[in-house]
Amino acid sequence: MSENFENELRRALRPIDAPDGFAERVMRALPAQRDREPLPAPEALPTRRLVRRFAVPAAFAAALVVSMLLGQHVADVQRQRTEQQAGLAASRELMEALKVTSQKLDLAYQAVKTPPPPAGDEENRT
Amino acid sequence: MTIRIALLLAALESTAPVLSQTPPLKGQLNIPQFAALADKASESVNVTLDSKLLSLGCRFLNAEDPEQADAKKLCTSLSGIYVRSYTFDKDFAYPKADIEGVRRQLSAPGWNRIVEAKSNKEGTNVDVFVLIDNDKAAGLGIIASEPRQFTIVNIVGNIDLEQLHSLEGKFSIPNLGIETGPKTPEAPKKKPQP
Repeated sequence: MSENFENELRRALRPIDAPDGFAERVMRALPAQRDREPLPAPEALPTRRLVRRFAVPAAFAAALVVSMLLGQHVADVQRQRTEQQAGLAASRELMEALKVTSQKLDLAYQAVKTPPPPAGDEENRT
Repeated sequence: MTIRIALLLAALESTAPVLSQTPPLKGQLNIPQFAALADKASESVNVTLDSKLLSLGCRFLNAEDPEQADAKKLCTSLSGIYVRSYTFDKDFAYPKADIEGVRRQLSAPGWNRIVEAKSNKEGTNVDVFVLIDNDKAAGLGIIASEPRQFTIVNIVGNIDLEQLHSLEGKFSIPNLGIETGPKTPEAPKKKPQP
């Protein structure tokens, strides 16, 4: 039974010549297909694909750069503020140091300029 | 092996502070911190301005203020200012040995005592020293001891005595009669023409 089935299948699938006029009919049908809407330009496809592919990483990179620049700016402002505070403190200390120096020089000056006491008082001035 | 590594690390640790210390500049005194005295003192002034802090402080001085403007001119040539000043409620509450330790450094060659003022009656003792290097003042040291106060001042750098002299009156700095160089003869004054 299976042999019969195989034979019938082989007969049904045997190569046969195309009917007369088949090629002409196919050729006639071709111009009708050409009239359809033109396909999009092949160049446009990669651009759109590129945009779709790199838009997110580019946005991330841009956000990273912006945040880096912002961070740098904040750090600069903070460093300037710290430097200003340290500078003002140092200038106050400098003025205080000069005042103490002047007080002590004045003490020496007063001691040197005071007229010498009468003999017997123990004071040395140079 | 572990012991060797531990010993090596200990040795490195002990030498690290020595290596990190910068050698003192010419005219710079080794002034102790007097931490114990600061606790006992009723008032204390402790100023430590090395060259970096001094130049920073110098930049922030207000040039429009006459006092600060003069200080600005003076401090540009300096490389350090160190002041320790302590005031006590009792007489002679500070150990004199600490002061003598600093005074000994001022007996080194180059240092010259330009003022010595001692009053046994009032118990004050003020010494002013200048370090001369290549005919220029490279350091100033002041040791002032009073019954209830002692002060050590050390100014390091190319001290322009003329500039210090120009501060006279502004910080109540007196004219100590420091010679600042050869005096040039005064130009003859022109008589006003009738």
